[in-house]
Amino acid sequence: MVGLISIMATGCKKSFLDLAPISNSNASNFYKTQADFDLAVNAAYATLYVFFAPQGGVSYFSEQMSDNATIYNVNGIQADKKAFKDFTLNSSNSQVYLFWQQSYRSLFNVNIVLDNIDAANIDAAYKDQVKAQMRFLRGMYYFYMVQMWGDVPLLTKTVSAEESYSILRAPKAEVYAQVISDLQFASATLPLSSAITEPGHATKGAAQALLGKVYLTMGDKAQAATALQQVVTSGQYSLLPQYASLWVVTNKNTKESIFEIQFKGGAAGVPLSDYYNEYSPYENFSFTLYAGGMNQVTDDLYNEFESTDARRDITVSAGYTNKAGVFIPIKYPRKWTDANAPVINSREASSNNFMVLRYADVLLMLAEATADPIYLNQVRSRAGVPLYGGAGYPSGAFPTLALAIEHERRVELAIEFQRGFDLRRTGRAVPVLTAKGKPVTDQKLLLPVPEIVRQQNSEITQNIGY
Amino acid sequence: MKRYIHCKACDIQYGLNYIIKRLKKSAGKTIIIMKLTAVILLVATLQVSASSYAQKVTLHETNSKLKSVLNVIRKQTGYYFIFNKAVLQKVKPVTINVTDENLKEVLNEIFKGQNLGYEIKEKVIVITQMVRPESSSSKDGVSIPPVNIKGKVVDPKGKPLIGASIRVKGNTKGTVTDENGNFALQAVENDAVLLISYSGFITQEIALNGRTEFAVSLKEDVQSLSDVVVVGYGTQSKRAVTGSVTSVNYDKFKDRSFSNVTQALAGQLPGVNISQSQGAPGSSPVVRIRGTSSITAGTNPLYVIDGLPVENFNLNLINPQDISSVEVLKDASSAAIYGSRGANGVIIITTKLGKAGITNVSAGYEFGVQTVNRQIKMMNAPQFVQYYVDAHNNAWTAAGGKASDPNSVRGPAYRIPEDFTNNPQQFGEGTNWQDVMFHTALSHNAQLSVSGGSDKTQFLISGAYLDQDAVLDQNYYKRLALRVNLKHQISDKFTIGANISLTSIYDRTDGTQGKADVVSLGVTSDPIFPVYNENGNLGFRDPKSTWYRFTQYSDLQLWNPYSLTREINKQDKTYNTLATGYAEYKIIEGLKFRTSINANLTNIRHNYYQNALQKYGYSSAGPAIANNNTTSVLNWLSENTLNYEKQFNKHKLTALVGYTAQHQRDEYNDVSSSNFPNDLVPTLNAGTVTAGTSLASEWALLSYLGRVNYSYADKYFLTATLRRDGSSRFGENNKYGYFPSASAGWLISEEGFMKDQVKWVSSLKLRASYGIAGNNQIPNYGSIGLLSSSNYTYGSTVVNGLSINNISNRDLKWEKTTQYNAGLDIAMFNSRLNLTLDAYYSVTKDLLLNVPVPDITGFANQLTNIGKMRNQGIEIGFTSKNLIHDFTWTTDFNFSVNRNKVLELGPNNAPLNYNDFSVAVRTEVGQPVSNYYGYIFDGVYQNQAQISSSPHDPTTTPGDPIVRDVNGDGKITADDRTNIGNYQPKFISGITNTFGYKGLEFSFLFQGSYGGKIANQLVRYSGLWNGGRNAYADAANYWRSEANPGDGKHFKPTVEPKGLQNQFSSYWIEDGSFLRVKNIRLSYALPKSVFSRMAAVKGLRLYVNAENVFLFSKYTNYDPENTTYAATTYSPTATSVSPIPTGAFLGVDYGSYPVPRVITFGVKADF
Repeated sequence: MVGLISIMATGCKKSFLDLAPISNSNASNFYKTQADFDLAVNAAYATLYVFFAPQGGVSYFSEQMSDNATIYNVNGIQADKKAFKDFTLNSSNSQVYLFWQQSYRSLFNVNIVLDNIDAANIDAAYKDQVKAQMRFLRGMYYFYMVQMWGDVPLLTKTVSAEESYSILRAPKAEVYAQVISDLQFASATLPLSSAITEPGHATKGAAQALLGKVYLTMGDKAQAATALQQVVTSGQYSLLPQYASLWVVTNKNTKESIFEIQFKGGAAGVPLSDYYNEYSPYENFSFTLYAGGMNQVTDDLYNEFESTDARRDITVSAGYTNKAGVFIPIKYPRKWTDANAPVINSREASSNNFMVLRYADVLLMLAEATADPIYLNQVRSRAGVPLYGGAGYPSGAFPTLALAIEHERRVELAIEFQRGFDLRRTGRAVPVLTAKGKPVTDQKLLLPVPEIVRQQNSEITQNIGY
Repeated sequence: MKRYIHCKACDIQYGLNYIIKRLKKSAGKTIIIMKLTAVILLVATLQVSASSYAQKVTLHETNSKLKSVLNVIRKQTGYYFIFNKAVLQKVKPVTINVTDENLKEVLNEIFKGQNLGYEIKEKVIVITQMVRPESSSSKDGVSIPPVNIKGKVVDPKGKPLIGASIRVKGNTKGTVTDENGNFALQAVENDAVLLISYSGFITQEIALNGRTEFAVSLKEDVQSLSDVVVVGYGTQSKRAVTGSVTSVNYDKFKDRSFSNVTQALAGQLPGVNISQSQGAPGSSPVVRIRGTSSITAGTNPLYVIDGLPVENFNLNLINPQDISSVEVLKDASSAAIYGSRGANGVIIITTKLGKAGITNVSAGYEFGVQTVNRQIKMMNAPQFVQYYVDAHNNAWTAAGGKASDPNSVRGPAYRIPEDFTNNPQQFGEGTNWQDVMFHTALSHNAQLSVSGGSDKTQFLISGAYLDQDAVLDQNYYKRLALRVNLKHQISDKFTIGANISLTSIYDRTDGTQGKADVVSLGVTSDPIFPVYNENGNLGFRDPKSTWYRFTQYSDLQLWNPYSLTREINKQDKTYNTLATGYAEYKIIEGLKFRTSINANLTNIRHNYYQNALQKYGYSSAGPAIANNNTTSVLNWLSENTLNYEKQFNKHKLTALVGYTAQHQRDEYNDVSSSNFPNDLVPTLNAGTVTAGTSLASEWALLSYLGRVNYSYADKYFLTATLRRDGSSRFGENNKYGYFPSASAGWLISEEGFMKDQVKWVSSLKLRASYGIAGNNQIPNYGSIGLLSSSNYTYGSTVVNGLSINNISNRDLKWEKTTQYNAGLDIAMFNSRLNLTLDAYYSVTKDLLLNVPVPDITGFANQLTNIGKMRNQGIEIGFTSKNLIHDFTWTTDFNFSVNRNKVLELGPNNAPLNYNDFSVAVRTEVGQPVSNYYGYIFDGVYQNQAQISSSPHDPTTTPGDPIVRDVNGDGKITADDRTNIGNYQPKFISGITNTFGYKGLEFSFLFQGSYGGKIANQLVRYSGLWNGGRNAYADAANYWRSEANPGDGKHFKPTVEPKGLQNQFSSYWIEDGSFLRVKNIRLSYALPKSVFSRMAAVKGLRLYVNAENVFLFSKYTNYDPENTTYAATTYSPTATSVSPIPTGAFLGVDYGSYPVPRVITFGVKADF
């Protein structure tokens, strides 16, 4: 009897052993329909959360490995986190490895869409839009990676483990060529910002602005100017009248915003923004429950602001008052404040978006590419500070246009993941940071290739100096 | 006539019947017989070459057909049977065990109760039907009335045996001997047979044969080879075991106070390393059988509970008092019958069943006291204050400041509370947080069981309640276990049975997670803070408290452990039903079909409520949070086997084939709430639900199995098994795997040249085996590429996203361990000395390795079958009965050595590195699994000259650690890290001495482990400066200046560690060797005279049991067996292999629960 039951239960052997996952979707039937690709594209955008996270690689590279920010006490392996600001990184640094992993995981989510879309039996125009968005993301990611590591393995499709062993670090020039190709395709294909119904998708303007930044970084100011001018002439963007209104938590996807990472916040189970609590002084317990202590502002950055510059107090908090009424003088960023964020699972469920590209950045790049202070002064004018070349401008401190732009970018775009890249692009990193006591050499401006990467494939080379 | 003469033996009886029929028609009886004799003699000469027949008979038959028994007698004696076919139609099966017995006695025994008579006429035995009532019987057919009998049972020395059991065979009548060894029974059938048994002695059968007084002398059972051991899907006589199986019966753990039977076996089993990694009540030990054979797949042995194989079973669910034996299948040949799940060894648990005869009621009560007998020496308040000040000044100096600078000029990280510089005396000695957290804990354990039965039905009913307070604040463990085991023989052919156990456990356990869990906090919290502040709150983050002034120094730590034990209310409720129902049907003689259905149903409910603010005692000081989750598991198994047994001459064959199907479904729900108006209602309805999820997961296994045992002359033994497993977990191209084994044994002592020649050898057996067993412990959908959700937002709209979670692997299959085992069992000097030796060599290939793949693929690793590992070792176990008379003394000793080596890894043999909170382990080819990997610490730099003259990190200043330039390149780089130890011991050993005198028994067990290394991860908090946690008292001897260099082992603290100041190094590694007095036990069985007035009481025993009595170890933390990381297992709902398999970190202690000393006082009574 019992035997019979079991034979009945197992009568069809195949179904007895072929158990499909219940609580997860299965990859084998995916990437077929337009609905599948919508889901996959959304997941590709979600990699932005990791890539530009407050404790992500770009954040460490641009703010910690510059003169803008420091960390005091933080959670996790403190030494590995503090090594960025101290320029004492080594190849076994766990954070550097994490950023390497995150970068290629992000690329995977982008490349897998590109791998599968051509074969799918769906609308060609839709395919093109998807491809352009993915190539925008891919171009952007490689642009950041090539600045952080120099030569990097260049994959334009997903690869198996076996295939991956033959893929070594591609020369920077090759990576840049790919970046430009991707961004050119994106800027040619993507719609204007005004044509976008769902804010957050990549646009023509975003691709052009980024392309301008890439050319600028490559030293091709003419091409940079051309690309950036297209952004300006598109008429899609303008500076907001008030610098402060950029940082109002509810003020999202404004005219000034060119590419913006979108968060929801406010409730459990939706994408939450962590900039507010990660940047709050560690264990302050007076205004945030969770506080990461990341990117605490240096006195040097605080003092970079001109005394009349209202942007300083919008950007930096000089400290906070604890519950006993004592003022604790720890400077921290306050652009991404969401004071009314509810606490969900012991963390502020903030909803601040993060702007990767905004119009002020484009104007300042344009100033750099064209050596025309008019763009610089548009930014200063909005900030309400004396114009460059005009009365009251601190020309003693910033005697050249290049230095003025460097200064302006530092204060206008403070803690927006620009400073470290700016200093490296202009070749100013070593003199500026050395003057501030950081043990920097040209070699230490790049991240090391993680040792685990080289153990797995000994043909992968290390950056000189590590 | 001739036709019958020429036919084979099997036809003879038919032929004789034919003769009888013919003869019956004749008149003269004598003539008939004479003619018959002539015929028979002719048959005899044709059939058998030897002409002389013994009148002695040897028979070992169990429930055999009378006809076949007669046939055996015929062969042995040459006598022939004559009977009418009809006569034998209603006979009962025969059970008889006689050696060299007279034919007549044997016949009496066989025909007893058969309603048959016989006559011996020369060499022919004529069987006749008797015409008389069945109830009464005698040889001559005359009914004899029942008689009263009495007697005395003694041992070979003539000493009375108290409590020996006397039972009348075939019915329930019985008694036990009194304190003088005497017994009496009324109204016993005159032809009855008495069964006299006593533990440790050979059971004797005595036929009344008219006698009414008996003097019985029982022989000691020194022949351990006659024991039966449980192997997979059946039992085997110990004599015939050819693999490596260790069997432990109830006597070995009956008085031990553990809730999990394996804990009681630690130090007692060769080749089995059982270590108590956490001391929390109910936490299961880490069990390693013959080393570790996997790197990233699970490494726990398979548990088989009354036939139900269960992975990662919590053995606490089985009350040890219900267990009759534990068998450990160590070698792959024994485990291969469990196929894809046997590679980590198999532990078979068999629960008790009543014995036919007297009903036994057993009651017991234990009272226990637990204490933490070892404290970690931490800094007191003055030491801590000094440490804090120096750590800040050292960092500030390194940043360019001066130690004398006031806070106003220092950066936030370098500031020092004024209290520390102005008035450090205010803190006194400070708080010893370990005193706060641990207390003496009591436990109660009550047991009641009733067992017994008749020849046809046996049963056991038991209930037990354990109520254990734990040494850690607010922790407890309560277990109620009920069991019913039943077996009933419906007919000669049909037997059914059921084992049902119901267990519920209510417990609360904190502190086992290490790091910021309760035990770790109890060690690392700062001594300057009081347990309660002046407002009755727990923390200095109370804004109304004067202590709040310290909050601006973010590196002062008080995560008051009470905030987790007293401000969080949590409980786990586990309900488990384990049920087995089976039926056995004897199809024909020797062929038995067995079918069983087994189920394990587990429900675990977890309730959690965290009070708002937690009295400011924890870092978050957040709003109230509540969580409730439920895990529900149903595992069922259908098992169908055919078992065939056949003996012919000296050949004995048993064969088993089987088919089993097993399925498990796990479901998990989790709901969290917050926004509670107050702390009055702890259930989720009072708040608003903030998160909820539900998950489900399944696996299934289909198996075909077969086994053949063959023995010749009870001297040569062969076993071969084969199992074919199909599993849902593996890739579609590799769903099925085969697991064969073969083993052989040679009982040399039975050979003529040994048996009579070498008197001092009681028995000697050689064994050799080979087998392949598998490991399937990976996530349920490990082979399938899963999609996981990664949502995004456009504007204010949240959109779903799906991305690939892991790389699929259609070829994924089992890890396979091939093991060779050679063993020797020798019993010497009348079995006074028993020795078992085993040597094994095993290679695991196709390791289920979550192999790191280049990250540029988008993934860090892929679950695949790559790599090879070897384990080889030697195990020695011996038992010596040093004294066996009035005063007894037995010594049990075991010793095991295992050597583990990785032979092959993934692509390029790249080493596997895992890091978790500074501790790094590395697995590389040519080395054992999971070496600690770090720098070599060589002391402390005293001055700049010393630094300049040696390779050093550029940040090094005097007082910093000296790090060895391992590769000799003149620089200190990451390449100077090397292997700095491994947790695996060089050898483990245990020795138990047991003394007995009259009713008194005393034993003690030493357990030792040598050569393992511990990575003390608590060094990260307490061995060097980390965020202001309290440090080891030793660390106060740090370097202060060249003139005040400390002990040379502790470098200067700094709040901004640079270079190698806080890197993982040999500074973190400690010797894990230990010697432990694991157990001391004293028990006293009261003489009957003490309770003679209580007629119902059959036995009364008092005992004291002490566990973890003394520990000899140099280890800094609580216990060298402590390891915070558990053996690798995969939760049923896991969707991927964890990037850091916890098993790789065994031996790493991040502040584990101390293993308490437990002293229990118990009383047990039998009625």
